[in-house]
Amino acid sequence: MSWGPCFMYYHCEDCGKKFKYAVDMIPVFGDRFGFCPDCGREGAFEQDGARIPNDAEYGEVED
Amino acid sequence: MDMAKTIITVATTGAWPKKENNPNVPMTPQEIANDVYDCWQAGAAVAHLHMRDDDGNGTMSTDKFRETVTLLREQHPDCDVILNLTTSGDLNATDETRQAHLKELRPEMGSYDCGSMNWLNSSLFINHPKFLEALGKNMQEWGVKPEIEAFDPGMIANAAYYLKKGVLKAPLHFQFCMGCANGIPGNMKNLVFMKETMESLCPGSTWSCFGVGHSAMEMLYGAVALGGHIRVGMEDNVMYAKGQLADSNRQFVERAVRVIREYGNEVATPADAREILGLK
Repeated sequence: MSWGPCFMYYHCEDCGKKFKYAVDMIPVFGDRFGFCPDCGREGAFEQDGARIPNDAEYGEVED
Repeated sequence: MDMAKTIITVATTGAWPKKENNPNVPMTPQEIANDVYDCWQAGAAVAHLHMRDDDGNGTMSTDKFRETVTLLREQHPDCDVILNLTTSGDLNATDETRQAHLKELRPEMGSYDCGSMNWLNSSLFINHPKFLEALGKNMQEWGVKPEIEAFDPGMIANAAYYLKKGVLKAPLHFQFCMGCANGIPGNMKNLVFMKETMESLCPGSTWSCFGVGHSAMEMLYGAVALGGHIRVGMEDNVMYAKGQLADSNRQFVERAVRVIREYGNEVATPADAREILGLK
């Protein structure tokens, strides 16, 4: 049994962007994990899980 | 010289993704039966099946398994796909309901999760030693080959222990589950490590793997290059590529077929897979 990739969901308190990081990308992003891809501010953590119902509203941050 | 043969397993549904995540995930017995047939026609030799209840949640209902298997066999008598039924489709299932369908339906394969772990940082995925001992012995008695799902190297060591104890019988077949939260991350270095750990602890075993999310393609190519087999499907990935929802499970199978052939291998038929896996 698997549950697909696990994400951590955030929003940016500066620009309002909603975004998510896949947990398996922690070693790739390092200290930048969880930061807004647009303005660089540390994101406000909302929740984590394997694709929440409104998952599509959150842009996945890619390397 | 004969070409190497690579087995494609399709994991159509899983216990987690719903229509909200991808409207193409098969959920009902009829949808799953149709999907398995479609994937078999595309090149899948093994179908790993989970069931959903009427609300779309994972269930270990023997009725649902029976209905699905019956629909597949009655509507598609030409389909010789190997059925691999999960024993871990609902975190609240009992030790009994996790194996009742194997006893009744006697599929050729069933999953065997060889250890316990935290589940999505929110719950527990328990595979108690008592359960694993009972399940291993029952699967031998019922003629169901275990597919050892290993989420980390410790689970391979656990399989070696059960092999020595007679709970499992050689040759084993492993499914390396790569990139799942709280399991081993999915990358080539780790896949090589899983393979080498298996070869040292359980020599003579066969193996397959899958990667969730970003590691899906790396694990697909890695499995083919390292002489393993591959699992694809919406249980593990509802996205086909970046920003692109999968149209179907068939789409994943067709991609695996292309990769295997481009590499120079042959796609294993169900008959080939039975020979490779030592199924009767």
